[in-house]
Amino acid sequence: MTFWDKMQKVDRRILYVILVVFVCTGLFIPVKIPVEPDPSSKDFYATVMAIPEGSTVLVQTDWTNSTRGESMGHFENLMRLLMSQKLKFVFYSAADPVAPQVARTVITRINAERKAEGLYVYQVGKDYLDLGYFANAEATNTNMGTDLRQAWANRTSKVPEGGEVDIFKTDVLKDIRKIGDCKMMVVVTASASIDIAIQRLANKVPITAMVTGVTGPGVLPFYQSGQVKGIAIGLKGVYDTEYLMANGINISNGDERPKVTWAKTSSVDKVAEGKTFARGNQYYGTLHVALVLLILAVILGNVGMFMSRRATRKGGE
Amino acid sequence: MNNTIFLLAQNTENFWRKLPGQGLVIWVVIGLLLGIALLFAFTQVPSNLRRWIIVGFTFLAGLPYVLAYLWPKPIGADLQNDVPRNLSEQIGFTINQAIDPVGKITNVLQAFLLGVGIFSLVRVHITKVRRKSENWGFSTVLLVCFALMTTVGFMDWRQRKFMDDNGLLNEPSNWGFFQYANDLMFEGMYQQMDSAMFSMIAFFILSAAYRAFRIRSVEATVMMASALILMLNLMGALTYAWGTGIESLVVQTGNPFFMNFKLNVMADWLRSTMQIPAIRAIDFGVFLGALAMGLRLWLGLEKGGVSS
Repeated sequence: MTFWDKMQKVDRRILYVILVVFVCTGLFIPVKIPVEPDPSSKDFYATVMAIPEGSTVLVQTDWTNSTRGESMGHFENLMRLLMSQKLKFVFYSAADPVAPQVARTVITRINAERKAEGLYVYQVGKDYLDLGYFANAEATNTNMGTDLRQAWANRTSKVPEGGEVDIFKTDVLKDIRKIGDCKMMVVVTASASIDIAIQRLANKVPITAMVTGVTGPGVLPFYQSGQVKGIAIGLKGVYDTEYLMANGINISNGDERPKVTWAKTSSVDKVAEGKTFARGNQYYGTLHVALVLLILAVILGNVGMFMSRRATRKGGE
Repeated sequence: MNNTIFLLAQNTENFWRKLPGQGLVIWVVIGLLLGIALLFAFTQVPSNLRRWIIVGFTFLAGLPYVLAYLWPKPIGADLQNDVPRNLSEQIGFTINQAIDPVGKITNVLQAFLLGVGIFSLVRVHITKVRRKSENWGFSTVLLVCFALMTTVGFMDWRQRKFMDDNGLLNEPSNWGFFQYANDLMFEGMYQQMDSAMFSMIAFFILSAAYRAFRIRSVEATVMMASALILMLNLMGALTYAWGTGIESLVVQTGNPFFMNFKLNVMADWLRSTMQIPAIRAIDFGVFLGALAMGLRLWLGLEKGGVSS
């Protein structure tokens, strides 16, 4: 048996150990890597940053911890962005009963982070609303597009002063009569719930998305057609957003040339307060390691196959 | 003025909506009695007629959505705030108003299905434990975890909802037994196991990349080359270094053509010229099929499910 034959039959547990060792090592070494953010990420960032302070944004959060490697980074970035821009938001899920609780945990953590940094802490009923889970995405999105006040009628929220009030009497929704009054809808998802939202609401409110690497390619046709204003895709999208939050677009520091340039827009500021590099920065190095391993695995597997075949042919002759 | 019209429109009662203080309780009671009577009547329907009841309700449930698209309405009509001027517009407004209650009924039905699922799950596993069937120990674990999670989750929700007007329980320092128990079970165990399950895919992907991704044909070679460019583009460090090299080459040679060989440019081209049109073509076919299937289901032409 030649070396290449042995390589072809390598125990898969050895591959698993290599993966665990390399990927885990990468997690402990966060490195700020210079990137060229994807155009879809730049569009996402520019769209959020263009929303006037105090406006209301809809956040449909349809992810759970099964995809937290990507989706949690997306959601944390979104919260940091909205809070730094002083935007109000309403969050709900139309895809998974567990999703609202996962989102609540993240908001609590981001609020604790802001408190530690001496920044304003977002309060439920005043700065954001938690509407929980809606059991049927198709009907929920259709109803929201038809008549938002009817779709969310009779729902109440706690307010900082104590007690509960109708959500349409809170600061978040008091000026919202129809879905078009919200400046943007962001769908954070790892599933096809983004498709349903686009099909039912794209002509009523500007939609942006933060999706996993697997879901991303399915949303790109909607981005190309302009039905989605911007998308952050996968872990690269998480890091892109953090990089844009830290550097802005076409913003130069003194004599340095801008770290992110884009011909489509004049300039978009970096975020004024709070953390920028976070989970994306922590995981991005690991993504490099994992991809290198994957590419090496494909190359080695194929080289092994060719060499093994050649050896067999030579043996036959 | 606009605000006044809006408020008037919001407070206007319609066929689908009764406001509090206007006999709402009577309508609720009538609705409840009607529902009970209907359910009882359905149980008495002969089995050969049941199919038609399902077909009829499916048709009625889909009708407002179809009519809302097809029924003519004035250009730029604001169906929430405008007042209908004639019978045709009145019908259009009523159809539009029907979408909300129909949607809410489907939401309730979907939530009801969750309940049916839980009932079925518990019944199956209780039976397994009672009969001590194969792996009944796992069923016991499931039932104990189910009962614990439900109890702890419900008690936590109850305390947060009804006994915490000022949101003190949002601060972990104010937590009691049920908040800690819920946090341990939901965040500490369930969520972590969920992540662990999903992360196992990485091992299968690596194993498959090494053992199964073989270049045996031209198509496989093209696919691998495309995948390689897209994967390399995900690596910011490499893209940046490669791009800087290409930019220097362009400066040295004065030939901007080389810019086409930047990794992100090649990846963008692959995505926008190859990947997106292909996905769009597949989506087009899928949605045509979905439309045909939707029509068959709505019109009761689909035999499976309804008749079986």
